[in-house]
Amino acid sequence: MRSSIVFFLICAVIGAVVFGIARLIDNDYLFFAGYVVLQYIVLATAWNILGGYTGYVNFGSAAFFALGAYASVFLYKIYPPLPIPALILIGAVISGIVGLGMGYLTLRLRGAFFAIATLALAVVLQTLITNWTYLGGARGAYVIRPIDVPLIGPYMQYLCLLMLGLVVIALTVARSIERSRLGLGFAAIRDDELAAEASGVPTLKLKLIATTISGAIMGMAGAPFPYYLGYVQPQSAFAFDYAVNSIAMPMIGGTTSWVGPLIGAILLGSLQQVANVTPLAQVNLLIVGLLIVDCVIIAPNGILGLVQRRRTARPFAADPAVFALLFAVNVIPIYFLHELELSQRTLEVIFWAILIFLAFARGRLVGHPWLVALPIAAAVLGVVPGPSWLWLVAAFALTVALVLGLALRPGAPEPLAQGKAR
Amino acid sequence: MGQGGVVEFSYDLVVNALIAGLLLGAFYAAVTVGVSISFGMLDIVNIAHPAFVILGSYIAYIASRLTGIDPILASIVMLPAFYALGALVYQVYYASFERYGQEALRGLAFFFGLLFVTEVSLVLLFGVDYRYVEAAYIGPNLCSTEIGKFAVIQAVCSLGIDMPLRMLVPALVALALFAALQLFLSGTFLGRAIMAVAQDQLALRLMAASPTRIKRIAFAISIATASIAGALLIVIQPVEPSIGREYIGRVFAICVLGGLGSLTGTLIGALLLGIVESFTATFYGPSWAPAVAFGFLLLTLAVRPAGLFGR
Repeated sequence: MRSSIVFFLICAVIGAVVFGIARLIDNDYLFFAGYVVLQYIVLATAWNILGGYTGYVNFGSAAFFALGAYASVFLYKIYPPLPIPALILIGAVISGIVGLGMGYLTLRLRGAFFAIATLALAVVLQTLITNWTYLGGARGAYVIRPIDVPLIGPYMQYLCLLMLGLVVIALTVARSIERSRLGLGFAAIRDDELAAEASGVPTLKLKLIATTISGAIMGMAGAPFPYYLGYVQPQSAFAFDYAVNSIAMPMIGGTTSWVGPLIGAILLGSLQQVANVTPLAQVNLLIVGLLIVDCVIIAPNGILGLVQRRRTARPFAADPAVFALLFAVNVIPIYFLHELELSQRTLEVIFWAILIFLAFARGRLVGHPWLVALPIAAAVLGVVPGPSWLWLVAAFALTVALVLGLALRPGAPEPLAQGKAR
Repeated sequence: MGQGGVVEFSYDLVVNALIAGLLLGAFYAAVTVGVSISFGMLDIVNIAHPAFVILGSYIAYIASRLTGIDPILASIVMLPAFYALGALVYQVYYASFERYGQEALRGLAFFFGLLFVTEVSLVLLFGVDYRYVEAAYIGPNLCSTEIGKFAVIQAVCSLGIDMPLRMLVPALVALALFAALQLFLSGTFLGRAIMAVAQDQLALRLMAASPTRIKRIAFAISIATASIAGALLIVIQPVEPSIGREYIGRVFAICVLGGLGSLTGTLIGALLLGIVESFTATFYGPSWAPAVAFGFLLLTLAVRPAGLFGR
């Protein structure tokens, strides 16, 4: 308990410093983009309390988020002067109750049912809101916000400060859960639910606590959302981005600790803010989806796992199918990005790096380390400015790397293997 | 309608809503059957299945635009490609997750990622415009065609029942697909082995059959059905990459409603959902239809989690 208070204070100080620095830079866009990243930190941390600690996947983050947002819209319609902190509290209560209800209905059954039900929950709530004309229906609802807030200044900065506060609260909650008996119970459920139940862990009760807390924090993140743009419509509040990101961020950062979602959200969140200003905004979601696929296969414990050297000694490149699928899907964003100008293609670097890493891992495994040279050559040809046929050469090099990676087998004598590969 | 007002009941309206629901339900069955195999029998929560169905739609679209062949025929030609895709995905799933017992969290996230990669790739390639195909049976109603001149059909038509061929043809193809799968599963050794893998993998090993191999074949078949389901989808309605998401809830609702691992249950669950959705759309407006699937799902989970025909 005492360590939690200390942690809370440290976080609050760091938050204050971050806010102070942002005020010094004094760039409106910084606050505008920063709000989104902060919002993702809260969402990812909330998702991780259920998904990372107990191992139950929630696909309906957007639903809980939107519940918070629309609760605010509803309250705005009936009693406008409510301050945002009050809206946040109410949003938390409503989303928490819905989380509890969902959990109660589905968590007594197999884990997959909960995941599917959360997916469907998003669809139904969206249908409900779209048909509810009082809340604006499909047309959306406007919220008039003041320009300035006393003591703080511009409203955007006030929202950022609030979100920063939510980040501090969410991180503190996540960390204290992790270090308490509750967290031990959650971990027991994640590792083996049957064994946990048999040794006296009240699994259903713990799972319900997890869904409630997780849902409540997501609702908190959504409550200020209508005030962010001054306008909210079902498609933006229920955007699939929230569901994907709140899963991808903890997965990429690492699910076992509160640090993981934080790292993942800051990394992926800022990455997407960069990608958002390029002409192909859809590439955004593609990149996040791909990073999920790559991460769960290559680095199952996320960045945190890599840092802590808890690398599972799992040779993911040992199976040709895994190599083939990963190699093929990572070429997709490169294909779509290559039509843009070079300055807009910074994100491509990630996927070239993954391709090179894949070829390196596979090459080392089958005893032909030179395989890595092919994607490196392709990357160089793909990135340097030059005639368009360079692209064909790059594509050819990648194809050869894929085919050779599949054709070469570990353990075969050198000359024979090369002869076979033609 | 559409305003949320309740429409007056009339005999014609009810009967036609019922027929439309049955046809829609048969189509839903074709979309669900793949998940019924992967989720119901193999315990693989393939939430990317609807994305593969949309992929099937687009492939049928390209094939029929380029060569002018019938979209459903094109999807049958594409079956081996989808089978291979399914085998590849299962191999990756097995080698990366199932073997390590990590399918609950990471396996689900893997399919979620695949869902996105497929959907966004289609958006980037084709844009978000609705695409549609052309075929002789898209447009006319049953009673106004040559077949409508047969005495039996004329008798049906005279009762005030009519159905668009655009719905009837997919429903018939879906039923044929169902019958073929049912025959395969209950009649062949491989089919029985697939049913057995759901129950006792050790016993299967004792029969000198590798559970992994059987599961790979079964999963590949389940993805292959997405090819046909995709073609049926684009025959029924214009397709746009993100409509696959609407089907996720629907497909799993049907699966749970019918009872996991039961093809008959899936068919009946699909027909039920089709009828209820059709009635909701007719009497309350189509914008409420998506909520029906979820209501069904929650009701089933609360009242009878094993489903109507579950073990």
